[in-house]
Amino acid sequence: MFEARNLGLRYTVGERAFAALEGVDLSLPRGGFTTIVGRSGCGKTTLLRLLAGLAEPSDGELHFEGGGRPRIGYVFQEPRLMPWLSVAGNVGLGLVGRLDKGALMRRVTEALQLVGLSGFAEAMPDQLSGGMAQRVALARALVLEPDLLLLDEPFGALDAFTRRSLQMELVEIWRARGTTIVFVTHDVEEAVLLGQAVAELSEGRLVGLHRVDLPYPRDATDPALLAHRRTVLERLLETGPNSHLKETVP
Amino acid sequence: MPAFSGFLVFGVLGLAWFATSATGFVSPFLLPGPFTVAQAGWQLIQDGSLAKHAAISLQRVGLGYGLSVILALPLALLFGLLPRLRSFCEPALEFLRQIPPLALLPLLILWLGIGEVQKVGVIVLSCFFPIFLGALGGIAQADPKLIEVGRICGLSRGEILTRIVLPASLPALVVGLRIALGYSWRALVGAELIASSAGLGYLIIDAQNMARTDIVLVGVLVIGVLGLIADALARCALRRSAPWLRSQLELGRV
Repeated sequence: MFEARNLGLRYTVGERAFAALEGVDLSLPRGGFTTIVGRSGCGKTTLLRLLAGLAEPSDGELHFEGGGRPRIGYVFQEPRLMPWLSVAGNVGLGLVGRLDKGALMRRVTEALQLVGLSGFAEAMPDQLSGGMAQRVALARALVLEPDLLLLDEPFGALDAFTRRSLQMELVEIWRARGTTIVFVTHDVEEAVLLGQAVAELSEGRLVGLHRVDLPYPRDATDPALLAHRRTVLERLLETGPNSHLKETVP
Repeated sequence: MPAFSGFLVFGVLGLAWFATSATGFVSPFLLPGPFTVAQAGWQLIQDGSLAKHAAISLQRVGLGYGLSVILALPLALLFGLLPRLRSFCEPALEFLRQIPPLALLPLLILWLGIGEVQKVGVIVLSCFFPIFLGALGGIAQADPKLIEVGRICGLSRGEILTRIVLPASLPALVVGLRIALGYSWRALVGAELIASSAGLGYLIIDAQNMARTDIVLVGVLVIGVLGLIADALARCALRRSAPWLRSQLELGRV
């Protein structure tokens, strides 16, 4: 179990203070798939960066079961591949010097198989499509065998078909490996399609936690899923800055 | 096609040169024709003096350029790692950078004598700053998003520097290295014009004293050709060792 208690991050511009995140309490069950949904700029990425240790909270604390920091894998919005490294070099970035060459290659090959890029170990990043590059980024995170896998709108820039296929692959990987996943998105449909729990974030505050108790694999056109989508969307519209839009929910 | 059009420019300039001298528009003493210059060049090749002067100049350039790389890269790395040291030393370095190396030549002659050390010293002074500033700029501009990836992958500070920051700084460093290569030839000729008995600069100044404009032009053309070859070799080495920069090379960004 990973827990965020009263988590907050404030920053100042000139003499004015802003809260990017305020009083967030969130429990992430071990092996669970939690999605965080909200408008652009509501603090989703900030929350993920705090969980990853890429930023220090101004308030509150993070509690990780068993004491020390868990191993963390992070998939950013963009692939962020090193252009001078091959696909295998990028995937093995965090393992070089920590494993012998044979073990490293085994782990890299396994991770590439997992994301469907077995034949591309020697390819360079500029030879990959957007979807393939994001798969490499996912393999780079998975190869670390993380306790906590954080994904920040990883499929946002992809076309609908690639996006759908990567969503399905991610769910398969999660079910096979049982890694705890936190997935950030601004797309409510994606949030309910993927997550067991959907954390709703609005203006830096956690405004709700919605359970999606549907079996996997899920169908985006399933009426039960659409009902969950509607509930989450309504809550976000009620609590967000544009709450007058409530009546436009389909 | 771009390579061909590049050679075409040389052809057009050669024709214009030929036409200017053949029509007598400019005195042959001021601008000897291409055939006269070619003849002078052939003579210098036959008696071996061109190869001797070119070899000496190449040796000086190689030494000066190599020393500049050895000095500038570690210093840029140190400054990249220690921003306080950088801000402490920056005013002094900026002051030095403004001084043309040839203005220091009289002092260098006094301090280092008129031998090889003084000539190599001028080349080092000319090449150091482009390489140093290129490397420093590259290190400072390394994409923080890639550094974040290194942090998430658990790389240490040293590993982030060697495995992410340095490769990311390569395009800016290459620009500095190429500029410095050009500067090395300028500085060399400057150094060889004064107090020298060999080298292409000496060949030029000696020919000027003997009123042999054709040999002056041979020296100038040889320096240009050697500079072009050095740059082409550098680009070729870069294409082989850093294939991910190939597209930037084609676009002329590095």
